[in-house]
Amino acid sequence: MGDLLVVKDLKTWFPIKSGIIQKTVGHVKAVDGISFTVHKGETFGLVGESGSGKTTTARSILRLIEPTEGEIYFDGINVSKSKGRKLRKLRKRMQIVFQDPYASLDPRQTVNSMLIEAMKIFGVTQSRSEAHERALKLLNVVGLSEEHLYRFPHEFSGGQRQRIAVARVLTLNPDFVMLDEPTSFLDVSVQASVLNLFKDLQKKLDLTYLFISHNLAVVHHMSDRVAVMYLGKLVELAGRDIIYNSPRHPYTYHLMAAIPVPDPEFQKKEVLLTGDVPSPVNIPPGCRFHPRCPYATDKCKRKEPSLTEKDGHWVACHYDIDFKSGEKQA
Amino acid sequence: MREKNYILEVKDLKVNFHTYRGEVKALNGVDLKLYRREILGLVGESGCGKSVTALTILGLLPQNACVIGGEILFKGEDLLKKSKEDVRILRTNELATVFQDPLTYLNPVLRIETQLKEVFMLNKKLLRQAVIAQKAHGKNVTFSSLLSWKEELATEPSDLKVSRAEIKKMAKHLCVDILGLVKLPDPERILRQYPFELSGGMRQRTMIAMALARRPSFFVADEITTAVDVTIQAQILHLMRELRDKMDASTIMITHDLSVAAEIADRIAVMYGGNVVEVAPTVEIFRNPLHPYTTMLMKSIPNVKKPVKTLKSIPGTVPEMINPPSGCRFHPRCPFAMDKCRKKRPKLIETIERHEVACYLIGG
Repeated sequence: MGDLLVVKDLKTWFPIKSGIIQKTVGHVKAVDGISFTVHKGETFGLVGESGSGKTTTARSILRLIEPTEGEIYFDGINVSKSKGRKLRKLRKRMQIVFQDPYASLDPRQTVNSMLIEAMKIFGVTQSRSEAHERALKLLNVVGLSEEHLYRFPHEFSGGQRQRIAVARVLTLNPDFVMLDEPTSFLDVSVQASVLNLFKDLQKKLDLTYLFISHNLAVVHHMSDRVAVMYLGKLVELAGRDIIYNSPRHPYTYHLMAAIPVPDPEFQKKEVLLTGDVPSPVNIPPGCRFHPRCPYATDKCKRKEPSLTEKDGHWVACHYDIDFKSGEKQA
Repeated sequence: MREKNYILEVKDLKVNFHTYRGEVKALNGVDLKLYRREILGLVGESGCGKSVTALTILGLLPQNACVIGGEILFKGEDLLKKSKEDVRILRTNELATVFQDPLTYLNPVLRIETQLKEVFMLNKKLLRQAVIAQKAHGKNVTFSSLLSWKEELATEPSDLKVSRAEIKKMAKHLCVDILGLVKLPDPERILRQYPFELSGGMRQRTMIAMALARRPSFFVADEITTAVDVTIQAQILHLMRELRDKMDASTIMITHDLSVAAEIADRIAVMYGGNVVEVAPTVEIFRNPLHPYTTMLMKSIPNVKKPVKTLKSIPGTVPEMINPPSGCRFHPRCPFAMDKCRKKRPKLIETIERHEVACYLIGG
């Protein structure tokens, strides 16, 4: 398995402007130096609470938002330095499915013209009839049929709209698709079928996914490896089962313990975090998690831990904590 | 015997909405019972009528809604037969709600103190009694001690003079106390703040405090954890469990998330297409789901503790409520649908002890 996407020390800051001359008075550090690699053919899950910078990360990779610093390599090509035609060529290979299918589809275009437009812009097909044929084929792939081709978005349900958004992405034959909370707008009974569709497509078309969600159960179901974000930084990255069953960062541990389990007989440990996520404008000094961390020491307040690896398991914590006994080692 | 323990009984409730596209048949005969001091989880997908059921009980339906039939018995009295004013008074004294998005329901230009104090000031008589108890009997009045006060009220001596300032001071004291009860850190400071200065979790706690301030006997929590993060959700669910033991209130907890209901509810009612299709104690419904919709819904949600390769999805989509399917509204998506299901809606019947289900496959 090769590395398809390499992100190195990515930073995306949004300036806060104030006063008549719009002087920059501070920054919202939405993404503040994260590095990870996505292997070919895998589903890489990115989880975190709202405001942790998941969506900004995805958009920065596509350069829908200009990153402040850092490098992004897609299949060996430097995305952060690409411009014009070169960037467009790259974007054809990496696509995104947005969260809200009610906002991401043009209400005045039929499904047919939407799909054909995408193909025309990127020059995927030579003729109109070929484009039409391809549109029809893809509609079948995502579980819709010919009768849906000439309808407008308002005639579809949420689940169907998300399928159309997926079909539109597939028109370009991408290698890499970012799924940004693709089911959070859908009903529970429909969510399952869309998730299954993603899994099917991955097998059939050999796709690589970056799967973003705040729903930890859904990410667990979809991902091979999972990264946990907190306030613009990665705190832990490892294989799915390791992250969910034996996390090493205290934030991940508490996050996993907070997942509601659809089984009333499951005996849960009651471990609660105190407080809220701080604002990304005033990031706490030292380890970002220290104000909420029950294990925090003086060192955590002063020094920010770096993400270090041990057997493919990346953790950003000064200590090695045994959560059962509460013991910690430096 | 058990009949006496119902605080609320909804019988065959039907509600329509007039819209320019036609009549939306939102509730199609809802049956629901709520015991004293229990948390009932009302679960269903969007548009199934969970919130409409709650709004109808609270008498807060919008102008274009119309109750066509049914009864809502609250402590034996039919709420639908009461005048609007009577229901309003009942809402201030007995019924309370917390909605999904706290920012919409808090006044953005008033400090938390002003808004919370207003709730306490509604009952000046109680505040006066509290001041007397503190002054004459040297009691330390807290909000928790007020909870057991309802009957005691009349017997307190009332010849003592109590000034307005003292009443206001007592209200402030109770504000601080109740914010502590919902586990907000530094209540004094929060009282001085405006809603926008609080985080989502803190706002939701403030809303819960405001709802509880009236010492309600019936409490609706409408998707209170949907807008907050998982770690905050765990905190709020924990708080709700604690409050259940402290307050003498019955709660309807509306949620679209079966796992949230599993965490907190004593019983779960599953709604689909404007009907309650299954009601049972939480453990029972997860062990032994009877309605095909409940069974399929449980298989369609991913469970971290019991991972599966592929999720079972329910074919089709949530029904259109303007032209809903005939008979059982689930029949177009049901793999076991029979002729009978298309013609007549099955009634909610008790099949096993305390386990009710509306399906012809079972018992009907």
